[in-house]
Amino acid sequence: MSKGLLTTTVGSFPKPDYLQKARNQFAAGKLPLDELQELERKATREVIALQEELGIDILVDGEMARGDMVVYFAEHLQGMEIGGLVRSYGNRYYHKPIVKGGLRWTEPITLELWRFAQGLTDKPVKGMLTGPYTMVEWSFLEGYDDRRTAVLEMAKAVHMEAVELDRAGAAYIQIDEPALSTRLEDLELAIEAMGVVTEGLRAKTLTHICYGDFVSVYPRFLDMPVVQFDLEMANSGHDLVELFKAKGFPEGKEIAWGVFDVHTHVVETVDEVKTAIKRGLEVLPPERLFIDPDCGLKTRTWDEAEAQLRVMMQGVHEVRQELGIE
Amino acid sequence: MIATVVGSYPKIPNRPRPARLRNAIARFDRGDVSSEELDKVADEVTIEALQEQAEAGLDLVTDGQIRWEDEQTYLARKLSGVSINGLIRWFDTNMYYRQPVIEGPVGWREPITVRDYAFAVEHSAKPVKPVLTGPYTLARLAVDQHYNSVDALATAFAEALNQEAKALQQAGAKLIQFNEPAVLTHKDDFPDFGAISRRLVDGLNVETSVYFYFGNVDGIYPQLLDLPFDLIGLDFVMGAANEGLLHRSPFTKKLGLGIVDARNTRLESPQQIAERIKSLAGNLPPDHIHVSPSAGLEFLPREVAQEKLRNLAQGVRQAEGVLV
Repeated sequence: MSKGLLTTTVGSFPKPDYLQKARNQFAAGKLPLDELQELERKATREVIALQEELGIDILVDGEMARGDMVVYFAEHLQGMEIGGLVRSYGNRYYHKPIVKGGLRWTEPITLELWRFAQGLTDKPVKGMLTGPYTMVEWSFLEGYDDRRTAVLEMAKAVHMEAVELDRAGAAYIQIDEPALSTRLEDLELAIEAMGVVTEGLRAKTLTHICYGDFVSVYPRFLDMPVVQFDLEMANSGHDLVELFKAKGFPEGKEIAWGVFDVHTHVVETVDEVKTAIKRGLEVLPPERLFIDPDCGLKTRTWDEAEAQLRVMMQGVHEVRQELGIE
Repeated sequence: MIATVVGSYPKIPNRPRPARLRNAIARFDRGDVSSEELDKVADEVTIEALQEQAEAGLDLVTDGQIRWEDEQTYLARKLSGVSINGLIRWFDTNMYYRQPVIEGPVGWREPITVRDYAFAVEHSAKPVKPVLTGPYTLARLAVDQHYNSVDALATAFAEALNQEAKALQQAGAKLIQFNEPAVLTHKDDFPDFGAISRRLVDGLNVETSVYFYFGNVDGIYPQLLDLPFDLIGLDFVMGAANEGLLHRSPFTKKLGLGIVDARNTRLESPQQIAERIKSLAGNLPPDHIHVSPSAGLEFLPREVAQEKLRNLAQGVRQAEGVLV
């Protein structure tokens, strides 16, 4: 493994057509669960093989069993229910979950598929969890009188899942909080809840947060109790770079630096990726700078994702060679 | 008192009822049905929305904005100077809109919502109000490549929407509503909002209303009472501080009480709603009070929205003392 600029991805990969079709058939009651799960494992094998072939350092299982990042956990937690259809955009609808109360973790949710994926490779596969703030914020809330109680109860449940992954040997556990970026006034609550989730874990912990007005909450933002921040640096126009340079970035923390915008179908050039990496190097040494896309890849096609990651890897290799660390 | 809504209504019901509009749009996108057939389904779903609002007991309804892709696109895409770009999150919701891009001078070409309004009136048992996204919110949520000034862009949108409002007035609208949630997320711009609003309602001789939601009006109240609208709607769910503000300075216009949570499925009982109305209405005459959910209803599943509206209407009747 290289001595720096380790590469990874944010979490989700595009689902192959056969899996998407199978998920639809399963939802319509036309496919048994074990057949769906067999196809999820098949797709996971392909996702791992692609990352191995591309030379990515820290892998993900691609979230082949997950539709929506909140719904997936809601289906498995006691005290949550799947609600009616709500539109997310255009002609797309999803079943928005409801926090009914009495939140409780009762059994491993992500463990089996993580274990399967880790069994396919010698490289580390990240454990991937949706954070407690996002779980509550992106659900309806019926069962608790205040959000704070609900978020902290949710944090205990997510912690249980994190402990399972930790015990099973996950080297990295990522707890995503995309909902926080639009509600930074809730930062204190999110920090407290993250502390509950990550307490006592041996794994390196990290969180992915979508672009937001971090300037307004800097540096308090960095007190989020995780080691690594996975940030959308390409989509944010790199305005955070100036902030980090001006105000500093703490010694013990790392950044996974998003180098390409996943919301466009344009494939960046190697030079654009290299420019983005070099901006990151202005802030952090290569050992603490990880390189990845801005966001999950599930909205790309398989070919787009592969092409974008190939460009990313080429950019990383060239910068590593320039630095003499490859 | 008037029991009403803020704008949108959920487009599809849950099983076992069929998701007709969703299916029709999917078939249209695949080229399997014509635009006329899609239009027919959209009309039928609009009628359902009108009926469900009337059945719930509302006094004043909307067309449910059934044809609206989102609160920005439906108006923006029919204006000149605007193209429509990629998806982006709508405020702090889990809903996305397509971002309008301003490529040249914004101009009104033709009526956008008049046909929808006239259709709704024709098929509604209750009076209908047309609802438009306001000029400031249209401007704030767009990518401006032409004006380089939110104020200038909002003024251009105000001029365009003024023509739309005049067309609605001509079509018989008695009350025209503008939704302006972005004002609350950018209160620093409020000093410009008065002039933008005056441009918006210039020459109209029907009643107008403006609704502010997803927050409170702390910092712009009581100044907002000088705005040139007859009715101002406020969000008392996400804007809990609004109640205290109202106690400090008397409300001098018609008041929109957004008191039923449009973003959560937890139900408010008619009693709770009635009590909330009584505590907020102060000394306003009952006919100056419009009671509604806190925002549009598309954040809720259809059945929950309907139940919330039933409770809302009952709560309003209780508050009036018509029912016990």
